Amino acid sequence: MRRLKLTMCSMVAVVSLAVAGCGGESSQSVSSTTTDSGASSSSGSVTRANADLVIWADQKRADALESVAKNFGKKNGITVAVQAVATNLDTNFITADAAGNGPDIVVQGDDKVSSFVQNGSIKPVQLSESQKDKFVANYLKTVTYQNQTWAVPYAAEGLVLIRNTKLAPNAPETFDDLISTGESLVESGKADKPLALQVGDTGDAFHMQPLFSSFGGYLFGEKSDGSVDTSDIGLDKAGAIAFAKEISKLGEKGSKVLTRSIDSNNSISLFTQGRIPYLISGSWALSDIKKAGISYELTTIPGFSGKEPARPFLSVQAFYVAAHGKNTSLAEEFVDNVVSESQTQKTLYDAEPRPPALKSLLKTESAKNKDTAVLAESAATAIPRPKINGLVWSDPLGKAEAAIIGGADPVSTMQSAAKTVAKSLK
Amino acid sequence: MTSRRFTYADGPSAEPMLTLGRTTSIPALLTKIIFLGLVLGLAVAIVPALISMRSWTMLAILVITVIAVFTIYTTRHCVPAKYLFPGTFFLVLFLLVPVIYTIQISTTNFGDGTRASKSETVSSIVSASVVRDDSLPTYTMSIGVSRHGDTTDDYVLLLVNSTTGRTYLGTTDRLSLMPTAQVTVKKGRIVAAKGYRILTAEQVNNAGDAITGMSVPVNAGKGVAIHTSGISSAYTGTENLVYDSSADTITDRSTGDVYSPRMVNGRYLFVDPQGRAVSQRSWLSSVGLANYTSLFTDSSIRGQLLTTSLWTLFFAVFSVAGTFLAGLLIALLFDEPRMIGRKVYRSLMVVPYAVPTFIGFLIWSTFFNKDFGLVNQLTGLHLDWFGNASLAKIAVRTANLWAGIPYMFLISTGALQSLPADVVEAARVDGARPIRLFFQIKMPLLLVSVAPLLVSSFAFNFNNYNAIALMTQGGPFSSDGSLFGGTDILISGIYRLAFGGSGARFGLAAAVSVLLFFITALMAIIQFRYTRKLEEIL
Amino acid sequence: MQRSILDARRHLPHVRNGMEIPRGTAWWRQIGWRHVVGIGVLGFMLFPVLYVVSASFNPLGSIAGGSLIPRSFTLEFYRTMVNGSKYPFMRWYGNTLLVALVVAACEVMFSTMAAYSFSRLRFRGRRGGLLSVLLVQMFPQFLSAVALFTMMSQLGRVLPGFGLNTLTGYALILMGGTMGNVWLMKGFFDSIPHEIDEAAEIDGAGHVTIFVKVLLPLVTPILAVNFLLTFIHVIGEYMLAAIFLTDDKVKTLAVGLYGIIEGDQSGNLGLFCAGSILLCIPVVLLFLYLQKYITSGMTAGAVKS
Repeated sequence: MRRLKLTMCSMVAVVSLAVAGCGGESSQSVSSTTTDSGASSSSGSVTRANADLVIWADQKRADALESVAKNFGKKNGITVAVQAVATNLDTNFITADAAGNGPDIVVQGDDKVSSFVQNGSIKPVQLSESQKDKFVANYLKTVTYQNQTWAVPYAAEGLVLIRNTKLAPNAPETFDDLISTGESLVESGKADKPLALQVGDTGDAFHMQPLFSSFGGYLFGEKSDGSVDTSDIGLDKAGAIAFAKEISKLGEKGSKVLTRSIDSNNSISLFTQGRIPYLISGSWALSDIKKAGISYELTTIPGFSGKEPARPFLSVQAFYVAAHGKNTSLAEEFVDNVVSESQTQKTLYDAEPRPPALKSLLKTESAKNKDTAVLAESAATAIPRPKINGLVWSDPLGKAEAAIIGGADPVSTMQSAAKTVAKSLK
Repeated sequence: MTSRRFTYADGPSAEPMLTLGRTTSIPALLTKIIFLGLVLGLAVAIVPALISMRSWTMLAILVITVIAVFTIYTTRHCVPAKYLFPGTFFLVLFLLVPVIYTIQISTTNFGDGTRASKSETVSSIVSASVVRDDSLPTYTMSIGVSRHGDTTDDYVLLLVNSTTGRTYLGTTDRLSLMPTAQVTVKKGRIVAAKGYRILTAEQVNNAGDAITGMSVPVNAGKGVAIHTSGISSAYTGTENLVYDSSADTITDRSTGDVYSPRMVNGRYLFVDPQGRAVSQRSWLSSVGLANYTSLFTDSSIRGQLLTTSLWTLFFAVFSVAGTFLAGLLIALLFDEPRMIGRKVYRSLMVVPYAVPTFIGFLIWSTFFNKDFGLVNQLTGLHLDWFGNASLAKIAVRTANLWAGIPYMFLISTGALQSLPADVVEAARVDGARPIRLFFQIKMPLLLVSVAPLLVSSFAFNFNNYNAIALMTQGGPFSSDGSLFGGTDILISGIYRLAFGGSGARFGLAAAVSVLLFFITALMAIIQFRYTRKLEEIL
Repeated sequence: MQRSILDARRHLPHVRNGMEIPRGTAWWRQIGWRHVVGIGVLGFMLFPVLYVVSASFNPLGSIAGGSLIPRSFTLEFYRTMVNGSKYPFMRWYGNTLLVALVVAACEVMFSTMAAYSFSRLRFRGRRGGLLSVLLVQMFPQFLSAVALFTMMSQLGRVLPGFGLNTLTGYALILMGGTMGNVWLMKGFFDSIPHEIDEAAEIDGAGHVTIFVKVLLPLVTPILAVNFLLTFIHVIGEYMLAAIFLTDDKVKTLAVGLYGIIEGDQSGNLGLFCAGSILLCIPVVLLFLYLQKYITSGMTAGAVKS
């Protein structure tokens, strides 16, 4: 019995030694086969077999980046991995970077600058003056915060007016023209609704911005150094109130031009059904519009007659350098030099036609493609989004707009929205 | 059920030849050996790595686990543990640890801007204040490592001034001219230097922070230094901010402003005497129970708290009761052996459950669209479903019912099949009619098995963030700025509080999670006592 | 008078599978109405799914807009998924199935084992343990992603095959929920009379034998249900996967699909819907296969009550 028990124990020992042996080996050889950024020991003496540069982007951007990344890798003798993160790219990036396991570069919009800076997740990019000159100045400004440039932009656009040329052959001069043409089309039965501007039940401050700005509405004042003056909230000032009164007239209790039943889910598909003459949207709507065979034309969004021009929000896509990435030198090399190359931006543009951020490239592409020209025109006068957490202002403003369109009293709703914003900034 | 310790029957007459614990058959024995061997081997493989990383906690956990595994599976004691161990191991590791982590966070101000320690924050604020000055020299750069120093990697920057073409050697101490005889310059960059080995891109990368953090001081008093930019160039820049560790202040060189840490809104910021902060970056600090107390004192919550709590309760009860009744009835519907096509019916019933919740709720929300939705089109009504709180609640409940019925259907189907057939048969033989059969025999037996599931389904729906967020995002919202919208349940409303404001506040969200957990746990315990009574009656 | 055979046939019982099937009005009263109601119920349950199907064949991929029959019909989304020209869908699909099967199998194993011990064995802390298992799962797992990410990145440094961006690591995390259905299983164990155990004991069986040879066959319906539920849950899981699986080779289908629509503001859900339909297929097939276990019922016990 005892001998058998002994045999048992020795068999266990043999198996475990075998596993330990294999396990020990594999923990060193696997580091060359895993392509993620998680397999290095802290002592730094184990060198990575493939020096990886890891870029995080959402799926669409990742697709566009593949060839650029490969070229960079070939040129420098390293492998570059472009990974598409499925959801919550910004928060996942912040978490991963803080844990030391994030990517080296992340591709995001300009609205994430303040959040990334606040969390210490990114490093400033140090472009030389001559490099900075190559970009459209406005675009660089949106990624500048606290006197530092935090990203290198590669594309920028603003909302535009997309018009179904069969229903409405002529571009409207003012927003009022747009409304009257749209309404007469509805009356004659040629259209179902005059305008597809997404509102939804909780509102959409981003899409409302052109109308908001046309009435002189503004979100926050600007200090002398260009930063946001959070004590000057524009939501209860004259411009915003005038705007509120107008959309109340256009809302569900009024002429029904604006309605909450049009939201981000159906606004583009309603337009592609060909029963709405005007759509306010961006470059992302164009592929489905073309697929549906709608003959369309882009123009910048007109302001209301007698009021200021409509200025949408500027939305810039940029490359950020992670603060705690493993390959910061290469990341800087890529972001500072490669992204600002015309060839790179052209590749990105070909994959997804958004106006490029480089001045010279923008000029050539605008000449070739009218849509790009209009999108860039809109971006040229667009307003940068305030560098404050979006939930502070876009959420209350959106909800206020939705409520007013639904029939709530415009003045008191805007005033309480202003109060809500002030409170969350305290 | 009697309460007695499980006693083992004595084995067959022959004395077992091989034993490990009570296992007697050869395949079982082999499995045990391999399993134990694997565990031990894995552990042994990891231990050196853990030691080198100095993760003492993980090491301790590993050792305890291995000892536990061996004790449990090689002796004849600890019978319950043999069955409980695997599931519990994973539960503790991947479910319990995050819970503990969450509780820990709830006493801190962890969130946007407060993720790092104070020293990390300070150094990142300071290092991010480097301003490039193009009036000062820029260089093309190669990184070199001292040929003779192999133990500690002594990196140097080999620079060529972009305008003058002069060559320099930059170390972390100073910048010095490098005689042209000692270097080879090709296309404006140094490609070879006496006494140094030039690194390739890959090698620069492997060196990591040692190089990116490197700077060559040019005028230390004014904070001017040469910094690397990428792998092939360098620039001169001024580090605008300087940290004085003894005085615990940050000073701005250009303006002379002095910033010191002060508690602003629950987090520490470096502010100047006028209250302006040098940066929104803060560091993790403990706030004790402040997160919890703020929930009770926040005015935006208080107003609607009661109504929202009642709605949350109602929503949970309705969802559980509704889905269970519907699921049970449908299971009974198909519980007729003589019906053809049952397999197909049942399999199709499961399909809604396999469709991702996101798209299921999205489609339901389009059904309730005021102008274009299916519900209004089919019924001819023109109801403003999402604009009216009561209507929105109906919409949410309907969609959640749809989402939950398949689960209850599956459970009920399985349960009905597992009812002891002899008891049912005996009752039928006794002449019980189908309805009486159902209510007095089947139903109680069913409830005993299924009751705990109803309790956990209740808890799930009480905190069913997804359903609300995907359907209505909590709306409709009144214009008086209160936190809770018409269909908000407690969790969706209060999370909004944690994620609005000037950055996400995970500490607050964690406190919310803990509080809501206590509430649901309390209700669950009460419900359990009730079902236990039920158990005993039967 | 002799009746014809046809007449005789009419009076013979209609038998299928050993069961007598009524005819005429009796059929309607006992079986027919079930079909009617069944179709109605299925209609309600599957109707939204029809929209998903419709969007997957619609080049504009819109689920809103009211009409079920798309204006134009396309197979492009399914084609993209199968030929992998844009993304390695089939690989993602394979990953998903692999992880789901493994985790579901482990889940069934572990929770059944635990349920057995809770139901049949008596030990200190049994009631408390049972309650705690349930309570732990009620905790809003909101911040778990952050905790698990840190844990797994550390694990990845010691055991490279198990860290971030590995399917094994991801599967391990999902195993945290293996006690999820312990209550379900325990309830069913409880409903089996103890006399069966005692009878087996008398015959000389140890606890393992009782568990494996006596009790397990009796609870197969709920084992099958348990497997299916876990399988469905894992297939659809994407929140944890989004932060853990970022490399294209190891993604699961759910995460890949969400990734596609996340950055895409166009509202074209065609590809996502096609992928969702493809995800439903193994579930339905699995259920069809498992049904024979679910409906096996319980063999009349060897116990006379």
